[in-house]
Amino acid sequence: MPRPRPRPIRFSIDGREVEAAENLMLVDAAKHGDVEIPVFCYEPKLGHPVGACRMCLVEIEGIPKLQTACSTPVKDGMVVHTQTDRVREAQEAVVEFLLINHPLDCPVCDKGGECPLQDVTFGWGPGRSRFIEPKRHFVKPLELSPVIAIDRERCILCYRCVRFSQEVAEDYQLVLLERGAHSYVSTFDGHPYVGPFTGNIIELCPVGALTSRPYRFRARPWDIEGAASVCTLCPSQCNVELTVRDERVMRVLSRQNDEVDDGWLCDKGRFAYQAVHVDQRVTAPLLREGGELREVSWERALDHAVGALARAGARTGALAGEGTTNEEAFLLGRLLREALGSPHVDSRAAAALPAGLHRALCHPRRQATVPDLEFAHAVLVLDCEPVDDAPIIDLRIRKGVRRHGLRLAVATSRPSSLDANAALSVRFSPGAGGAFVAALAAALTGADSEELAERAGADAGSVSALAELLRAAEDEEDGRREVVIVWGERLAHGALADQTIGDLVALADALEVHQAPGAGLLELPVHANGRGMREAGLVPDAGPGLAELGPGQAGRASAQIAAGLAEGDLVALYLLHVDPLRALPDRPAWERALAGAATVIAHAPLLTDGLREHADVVFPAEAYPEKEGTVVHPDGRLQRLRPGIAHPGEVRDGWRVLAELARRLGTDLGVASAGEASAQLFAAVSFYSGLTLEQIGGRGLRWPEREQAATEFGEREAPPAPTRDRAPEHQPPTLAGAAANGALHLDSYRSLWSAPEVQASPSLAFLHPQQRAEIAPADAQRLGVRDGQRVTVCAPTNGQPAAGQEGAGAREVQATVALRHALTPGVVLLQDGLERDSANALGDPGSAVEVRPE
Amino acid sequence: MTYDPQADALPVSRPAEPGRGAAAYRIFGETLRGMKTTFGRIVEGPTTVQYPEDKAPVYPRFRGRHRLHRFEDTGLEKCVGCSLCAAACPADCIRVVAAENTPELRISAGERYAAVYEINMSRCIFCGYCEVACPFDAITMGHDYELSDYDRSDLIFTKEMLLAEPVERAPLRAAGE
Repeated sequence: MPRPRPRPIRFSIDGREVEAAENLMLVDAAKHGDVEIPVFCYEPKLGHPVGACRMCLVEIEGIPKLQTACSTPVKDGMVVHTQTDRVREAQEAVVEFLLINHPLDCPVCDKGGECPLQDVTFGWGPGRSRFIEPKRHFVKPLELSPVIAIDRERCILCYRCVRFSQEVAEDYQLVLLERGAHSYVSTFDGHPYVGPFTGNIIELCPVGALTSRPYRFRARPWDIEGAASVCTLCPSQCNVELTVRDERVMRVLSRQNDEVDDGWLCDKGRFAYQAVHVDQRVTAPLLREGGELREVSWERALDHAVGALARAGARTGALAGEGTTNEEAFLLGRLLREALGSPHVDSRAAAALPAGLHRALCHPRRQATVPDLEFAHAVLVLDCEPVDDAPIIDLRIRKGVRRHGLRLAVATSRPSSLDANAALSVRFSPGAGGAFVAALAAALTGADSEELAERAGADAGSVSALAELLRAAEDEEDGRREVVIVWGERLAHGALADQTIGDLVALADALEVHQAPGAGLLELPVHANGRGMREAGLVPDAGPGLAELGPGQAGRASAQIAAGLAEGDLVALYLLHVDPLRALPDRPAWERALAGAATVIAHAPLLTDGLREHADVVFPAEAYPEKEGTVVHPDGRLQRLRPGIAHPGEVRDGWRVLAELARRLGTDLGVASAGEASAQLFAAVSFYSGLTLEQIGGRGLRWPEREQAATEFGEREAPPAPTRDRAPEHQPPTLAGAAANGALHLDSYRSLWSAPEVQASPSLAFLHPQQRAEIAPADAQRLGVRDGQRVTVCAPTNGQPAAGQEGAGAREVQATVALRHALTPGVVLLQDGLERDSANALGDPGSAVEVRPE
Repeated sequence: MTYDPQADALPVSRPAEPGRGAAAYRIFGETLRGMKTTFGRIVEGPTTVQYPEDKAPVYPRFRGRHRLHRFEDTGLEKCVGCSLCAAACPADCIRVVAAENTPELRISAGERYAAVYEINMSRCIFCGYCEVACPFDAITMGHDYELSDYDRSDLIFTKEMLLAEPVERAPLRAAGE
């Protein structure tokens, strides 16, 4: 859909001539004339207005009755009055009516002091009620969910929460039950309202009917301060405002930035702040002494770490993940490359890519933005699940489909939550994303795609239908084609990763994304700041700014670091905000690596399995509300993290620790403040050059839009030729080696909730998932397992046992069977990223596994 | 018509030209007049209050040290921890941290109660705004004005101290006194 181009018109409000865009709702247009019209139910984020609360009545000349300003589009020459006696009488009547059953709870209500109902009553109310009868009463407060309390007496039936559930999150859970004064909001079946986005209704509620349970009675609005920052719990990087009281984060609110988050937050971002202030947070350096991690002074921990790093020298590897800022990633790269002379750094969960492909992927002309998802003609969701990988992207796609007629295509190996919204859904075999991309690229360029589609386990007809859908996604008027491809980082795994990415670039170029400004690729990285870490040079094959490294300077990627540690080629490992057992593929290999490493130095805010068992030194790391630095959104937007609270305990800035380690190793990084670290980063990354923190500001700055980017990357860069003539080819997934009975293809995903922060947050912990083995009913019948039964899923063990596996964890996980009709038969779907029984213990998606009833 | 200053002229009375008699009067006469007042007060008796043995009585509306109240019938605290006193306080000397009542542990009559209620008396300016702001009449200004201590931190009054029945050290001024 083309973006709306507003046509300016003039209208009169309260005797003032005002210019506004045509068809803007009168409530918004009135703001151009500095006229405020009170509203309760109007919220443009929720889509079309409903006019439920009647608070916004105004008088329009030529229309005999009062009109709701929230649902009346402004037209040229309209004459509007908001200050007449009729309007005032209506407003006072509405407020009096809304307050009839509203209890006088203000002193105990969490909304008191920031309550639109209080403000509107004060500004437009009659000041006196004539109602002397007893008010309606409900039992209160009830738990709408473990994180939301509902007080039905206070509800003014504005429908905002119901509209959110029905039209934005599309979970269709909330409804209004009963009639008249006895109406109340509830889930239709009475079950708790649980979902990825439920917390938004707290912020939407204009009264204190829906309140946050973790924030319940924590503070009043005059006790608190707001601190703007960016949530780094997932790649969506939503802009947030932290509510701070006494150096503690009390809640997280959305800080609307239409370019990033559209004013929504997921429940992880909204409630996982509790993990900042839990007892299990690491707040002092830990050192392993006698097999146990004990708190020690910084001096001792640093000495120990420096000693180990100095001994290891170039035989050190380093990994970073999750919310590592660009500055930390950059300094870690310098620590390894300059102070230790080791090139072995990585920040990707998938396979390493050559610098040329990285640059081709982030070419400004191939880059889609988040608002593009809303206004594109077609969006292809490729081998990722936005609701798990970057939930706010999911809401944006739903908005595009619902409001702007976007054509959505989903191509995944597992059923997607977007299937219901999609014009076309194509399934392929687990792990065969690469072959599917090759097939789709072939279909788009007119080459033979049937064989490749077969290797991908996809229906050849569907692949050509998908190609046709993408090709036909053109504007009816000007023939422009805007297609956005949202793809997940894990698409590029395995030996054929660079070929897959080459095919992906070819696919984008076949769709001519560089011709249309609103088209392109949008990658959902595994780590929250995956893109920023890459651009800061924390990849084995590229330096800062994705610069080509000199010959012989390339390091090992994460899988090779694991192999090197296990074999003794590498002896020390530095982990920045990452636990490879949990976040990276191939858990058995990492268990061997961590056991084989002489020293594991970790930098983490919470202890996870791998660190608890294997780390020798743990530096306490900052949680994101304490951090200062920059991160990069998947669409290239640099955003600033600003500290909202002080460091708890003995926590120190990440950049300070890295600079101190380098200094003790004899290399002065020249960093004495967070600002200096940023300045060094901006100087080192070619396409950031000349940036300042002030330019990034509170809303972020997209570097692909800067002039430097255009000059550096050129207008039309020929994509690097995909290395077609390489020996290995996409192979159809096989079940070779697995016992005939019970053999299935493994598919895995990382749930939104499988994060250490969720586990540590008291009121979110209930969402932390247990391992489930999702299988199709036909398979369950064949294997003789029931829904809810405990099973063991294991890698095939007949034949020769894998070498060097003794001592490491067995390649099997315990799981509960869940039947899923939408799942392709022959596949078992497990979760990744769990503390125990994680799917990465079994292998990559697509490998053969056996399901055995217990 | 010419201006005649006679009509506006004010008569000025001047003291007698200083002579011997006048000088003697100034030395002794005025002094004796002052001494008359002094001796007159001596007859009335002493007015000094022998503080701290004796205490000056206060008026009923005197704004002394705050008190928090309980309901007399149920014994529940009147304060619900709404923090309005803290919002009204111009000296920013009140700190309230609220918590939720549970059926097992009911502290106040409302849904919430003040888990922490602290008044920093070294900062308080005894303006009484907190009393005015309180929607539940939970806080009032008492009559106690003896608030000195040896340590600043001892001047932070906690909820327990404010709820406790105060030792009535300051006498109340009787009607008509």
